[in-house]
Amino acid sequence: MKTATREQTGSTIIDVTGDIDIRTSPGFRKTLLESLKNTPRLVVNLREVRYVDSSGIASLVEVFKEARNRNKRLVLFGLNATVHDVLQLTRLAKIFEIRETEEEALQA
Amino acid sequence: MNCDKGSAPERLATLPPGGPLKFRMRMASDPRLLSVVRGTVSELAAVWGFEDEQCRRITLAVDEALSNIIRHAYKNRCDQEIDLNFQAHADCLEFSFLDRGEAADPSRFCAEPLDEIALGGRGTHIIRQIMDEVCYERLPEGNLLRLKKYLPGAKSKAGPAFTHV
Repeated sequence: MKTATREQTGSTIIDVTGDIDIRTSPGFRKTLLESLKNTPRLVVNLREVRYVDSSGIASLVEVFKEARNRNKRLVLFGLNATVHDVLQLTRLAKIFEIRETEEEALQA
Repeated sequence: MNCDKGSAPERLATLPPGGPLKFRMRMASDPRLLSVVRGTVSELAAVWGFEDEQCRRITLAVDEALSNIIRHAYKNRCDQEIDLNFQAHADCLEFSFLDRGEAADPSRFCAEPLDEIALGGRGTHIIRQIMDEVCYERLPEGNLLRLKKYLPGAKSKAGPAFTHV
């Protein structure tokens, strides 16, 4: 898994590529939590994520909680069927702010 | 079977002579191997006739089971052994996992309904959601976890059954 960070006005965008599993989720979690410190809105691009397991979902939940506690926002976009299905199975699809495209995520 | 890379797997409509189709793997408890297993399980489920969504889900359940073994039974040690057996029966796929780590807490497998924003417990929740039968046994040689997924229409699903022997 790899991440790349971009800045847009008022937002930080993290582009994620690869698989998020127990090997890679600690780095994923750390990147998101660090980025959240410096932005009011963290936008996570999951379009190139092929696979996510429960440890990746737990990382997203932790970042979601941190954002909520600090009155910040976490927005996800570009979820493929695999990622969306895991969120459905864990009943989290309604918890997160999820958008189809980057433009929609930035306007959220 | 056409083994050209990139071609769709041939689906097996009937059980081959000689009983269940078997596939066995002994792997180190190294998370780097999980992606290899995911690829194998996904292909196996496709060959056995599961649709794409079910293939993804079966792969996820197997991956979660292995992740639990690595994290909980082996406490993230990467040099331990896990025996993984697949059996393709006429009506289902059966996966069994044998590890020699610490005993699992059976209560994790029959936990309360998931707290939406809890940080832990999702792995076993996912396994129970996806698989039709989940059976855990503590044997003298280690922990044995068996997961079964029936082909659509092969068995009326009354909800995931958990057995602790």
